[in-house]
Amino acid sequence: MARVGVFVCFCGANIADFVDVPAVVEEAKKIKEVKYAIDYKYMCSDPGQGMIRDAIVAHRLTSIVVAACSPRMHEKTFRKALSDAGMNPYLLEVANIREHSSWVHQKDKKAATEKSSDLIRMAVAKSMANEQLHEISVPVTKRALVIGGGIAGIQAALDIADARIPVVLVEKSPSIGGKMAQLDETFPTLDCSQCILTPKMVDVASHPYIELLPYSEVLELDGYVGNYKVKIKRKASYVNFDTCTGCGACWQKCPVKVPNEFNMGIDKRKAIYSPFPQAVPNKPVIDAEHCTMLIKGKCGICAKVCEKGSIDYTMQDEIIEREIGAVVVATGYDLWDPKPYEEYGVGRYKDIITSLEFERMVSASGPTGGVPVRPSDGKIPKSVVFIKCVGSRDEAKGIEYCSKICCMYTAKHAMLLHHKVHDSHAYIFYMDIRAAGKGYEEFVKRAQVETAATYLRGRVSKIYKKGDKLMVRGEDAQIGQVVEVEADLVVLATAVYPYKDNSDLARLLGISYDKYGFLSEAHPKLRPVETAKAGIFLAGCTQAPKDIPETVAQASATAAKVCGLFAGDTMLKDPMVSTVNTDYCTGCQNCVTVCPYQAIITEEIPLGHGSKEIRTVAKINEGVCQGCGSCVAICRSMAIDLAGFTDMQIINEIVSI
Amino acid sequence: MIALGQQIENKFLVAVNKKSSNNILDCYQCGKCVSTCPVSSFMDFSPREIMQMIKLGLKEETYMANSMWFCLTCAACSGRCPREIDIPRVMESIRHLAIAENINPDDPRVKNIRKFHEIFLDMIKRYGRNYELRMMAEFNIRTRNLFKDIHLAPKALLKGKIPIGNEKVKSAKAIKRMFEIAEKLEKTQ
Repeated sequence: MARVGVFVCFCGANIADFVDVPAVVEEAKKIKEVKYAIDYKYMCSDPGQGMIRDAIVAHRLTSIVVAACSPRMHEKTFRKALSDAGMNPYLLEVANIREHSSWVHQKDKKAATEKSSDLIRMAVAKSMANEQLHEISVPVTKRALVIGGGIAGIQAALDIADARIPVVLVEKSPSIGGKMAQLDETFPTLDCSQCILTPKMVDVASHPYIELLPYSEVLELDGYVGNYKVKIKRKASYVNFDTCTGCGACWQKCPVKVPNEFNMGIDKRKAIYSPFPQAVPNKPVIDAEHCTMLIKGKCGICAKVCEKGSIDYTMQDEIIEREIGAVVVATGYDLWDPKPYEEYGVGRYKDIITSLEFERMVSASGPTGGVPVRPSDGKIPKSVVFIKCVGSRDEAKGIEYCSKICCMYTAKHAMLLHHKVHDSHAYIFYMDIRAAGKGYEEFVKRAQVETAATYLRGRVSKIYKKGDKLMVRGEDAQIGQVVEVEADLVVLATAVYPYKDNSDLARLLGISYDKYGFLSEAHPKLRPVETAKAGIFLAGCTQAPKDIPETVAQASATAAKVCGLFAGDTMLKDPMVSTVNTDYCTGCQNCVTVCPYQAIITEEIPLGHGSKEIRTVAKINEGVCQGCGSCVAICRSMAIDLAGFTDMQIINEIVSI
Repeated sequence: MIALGQQIENKFLVAVNKKSSNNILDCYQCGKCVSTCPVSSFMDFSPREIMQMIKLGLKEETYMANSMWFCLTCAACSGRCPREIDIPRVMESIRHLAIAENINPDDPRVKNIRKFHEIFLDMIKRYGRNYELRMMAEFNIRTRNLFKDIHLAPKALLKGKIPIGNEKVKSAKAIKRMFEIAEKLEKTQ
C-alpha cells in the first residue's frame, strides 16, 4: 500500500505570495494515497529537510513529493534527505510550483493555487510507478588524451601528469609549442614568449607520465566516459626518432627549399626540417610533398650525410591505439584569411602583412633577425599603420564576434616597433580599445603615452599605392575628419578563427560546435570547460578566442576536471538511462541516428530461444546515456523506456488530472 | 582630409608639451572636459578635439581655431580630467605659440579678445592693478565701438561700481619690473 508524503514549500515569499500554500496542503491531504502533508517556509533548509527525514520514519512513507522550486535547483538536496532517512533517493518526485506556477501566474492567485494542486496530484500519481533505482558504477581507465600541443595542451598535460595520471599528448605538427612559440614578447609584461614556453615544452618531453606523440593525428574515438578507445595515426616522418640525435646535418644539406610555415612563409625551410631551433622533440621530419627522393626517387642526400643512418624512406604511416578515460581538446586557433578585404588591397600589395607575420619579423629568432622589413624592398619601415578588427566585428565580410586579443597585441606591436626601430611611428586604426584584464589598461596607456602611438578611431576604408608608399584612408572620429596616412608597412590584426578541420574533429569526437567551428562548452557560465559529452573537456582557443593567461587558467581547470573524474576506481552515474526491451525492438535503428550522445549501438541476438538465426536489436551503453529521452520518443515499437520517466509514470501523470 | 605619416616627428606636440609642462599623449579622449566646459559650445573645436589635433600634429588647424581664445581658464576641465591634464595651461600655451608665429583665427571675435588681453596686461603693467574706467574706454576706442555698453555707464557710476580715479598700488614699480623680467625671459627662450 503506497504511503505518500507531500511537503509544500513557501520558498519565503516566492511561492507563498502567489499561491495559497495551506489550501494546497489541504487539497493534497484529500488524495487517497497521501498519508501525510505539511508546509514549511524553506523546505530546502536544514529544519525543512529534517521534517522530511522525520516524517519518513514516523509515517512509514513509501514515496515523497516535494512541491517547491525547479528540480534543477534542489532535486539533489532532497534526494540526499531521503537517503539520510534510509530511503531510496529515486523515490522522490519534485512538483515545480515555483517556476511553473507562482512565478508565471502572479496575477491570478486562485488559478495558481489550483495549478499547484494539480502539479502535486500529478507528482503523486507519477510516484505510484516510481521504482527504486541505483547509481550505475562505471569502471575508469585512468589515462587522459590531450589533443593539441600548444600552450593549452601543454599546460593541461603537465597538470594532469603531475597528479600522476598518465597522459597521451597528440600534436599534428613535428613540434609542440603551437602559436605561442611563434610569438616574440607577450602582453602585458613584455616577457619573452620563448623563455616562458620552452621550459614547459622540455618538461612535457621529459615527464615520466606523458607520452608525447608529435606528427600524429586522432582518427577515431570509441567508447564512453572513463572507457574510451582512441585510434591515432602517427604520420610517417621518414626519420627514426630513436636513433636521430638532431644534429642538423640533413637539413643543412637538403637541396629542396619550401616556404617556412613557422615563419609565415617569410623565409624558406628545407624538405627535411625541424620547425624551429627550440623544437620539442628536436628531431626533423621529411615533408613528403616536397622531398624529391619521395616524389621521384632521386636525391637521397640526407640519408648519405646522416651518420646514424636514421633516414628511412620506406617508413609508412602507423596507426596505434590507446585506452583512455578522458579527452582534453586543445586544438587552438588559426588566423582568418583577410582576402575579402579587397579595398585594402590584400594580396595585391606586398607591404600589407598580418599580425603574425609582423610578430615573426620582430622576434629575435625570426627570419629578419628581429627587425621589421618591407616585404617588397627589404627596407626598414618608418611609418607603420596597424589596422584592428580585420574580419572581427564585421558581419558583412568577416565574423560577428570580437577576437579579444587584437587590441592588446596591437598595443604590444606598437611598442615592439618602437623598440626595434627608434625613429618609427605607429598609427593604429581602432573601433574600441578592449583592455579588460590585469594590467591591460595600463599597458595600453604605455603604448599611447610612452611609445606615442597615434590612435585613430575609425575603420580604414581603403588602401592604395602611391609611389612605393601605401596610402591608408580612414576617419578619425575623435575630430570627425578623414585622415590619410602615408605608410611604409600595413599590419592587419586579422581575426582569431578556428582551424578548418576543427569541426571534423568535433564530429569525430561526437561533440558540438558553433557556426564558425569553435567547440561548444556544456554551459557558458557554469560548465565552461566541459563539453556536453561526458569525459571530453576543452582548453584554449578551440572553444573561443582567448589570451595566454586565460588559456593557461582554462587548461588547469580542465586538468582539475580530469583529475576529479579519475579520483575513484569507478565512477558513479545517474541511473536515469534508457533500456531496450529486445522482445519489442525491431532493429530499425532510428534511435541510433537520433541519439545525440552516440550511446546506442546494435547487437545481434538469436531470433528465438535456441534459434541459430540472428536479428539485430538496439543496445544502450549505460555509461554514455544521459537520459535525454530522444530514443524513447522516436521508437516506433515502444521498445525503449527511460528509468525515472517510464511510460507508466508519464501516463499516470496525465490520467491524474 | 588630413594627411599623416610624412613626418615621423611631431614637432607641434613637442612644443606644446614643453610650453605647457603637460603631456598631451596622456589624453584618452573621454570628453569629460567638453561636457564640463561652460563655453565649449561656442568653440570651433572642443578641448578634446584640440587635444587630438595636437596629437596628430595639426598646427595650422589648431591655431586657426577660436577654442583657446574662448577658453576662460576657469579650470573646471582640469579639475575633472581623469588623466590630470592641465587643460587651461595647454590652451594658454597654444595661445602664446600662435601669437609668436603671428597666426590669427578668422573669427572676428578673436581680435577683440586679443585686444582685451593686451589692454588688460597694459593696465597691470602701468598701474599695478586694473584701472577699469580707462580699460573700458581704451577697449571701446581700440575696437572702434565707442558707445558700446555706454547706456550702463550712468547707473554704474552713480552706484560707485566704477571708481573715477585710480588708486595706485604701493609696489607698482616691482610689478613693472616683473613684466620686464618676463619679457626678457621670453626673448632668451
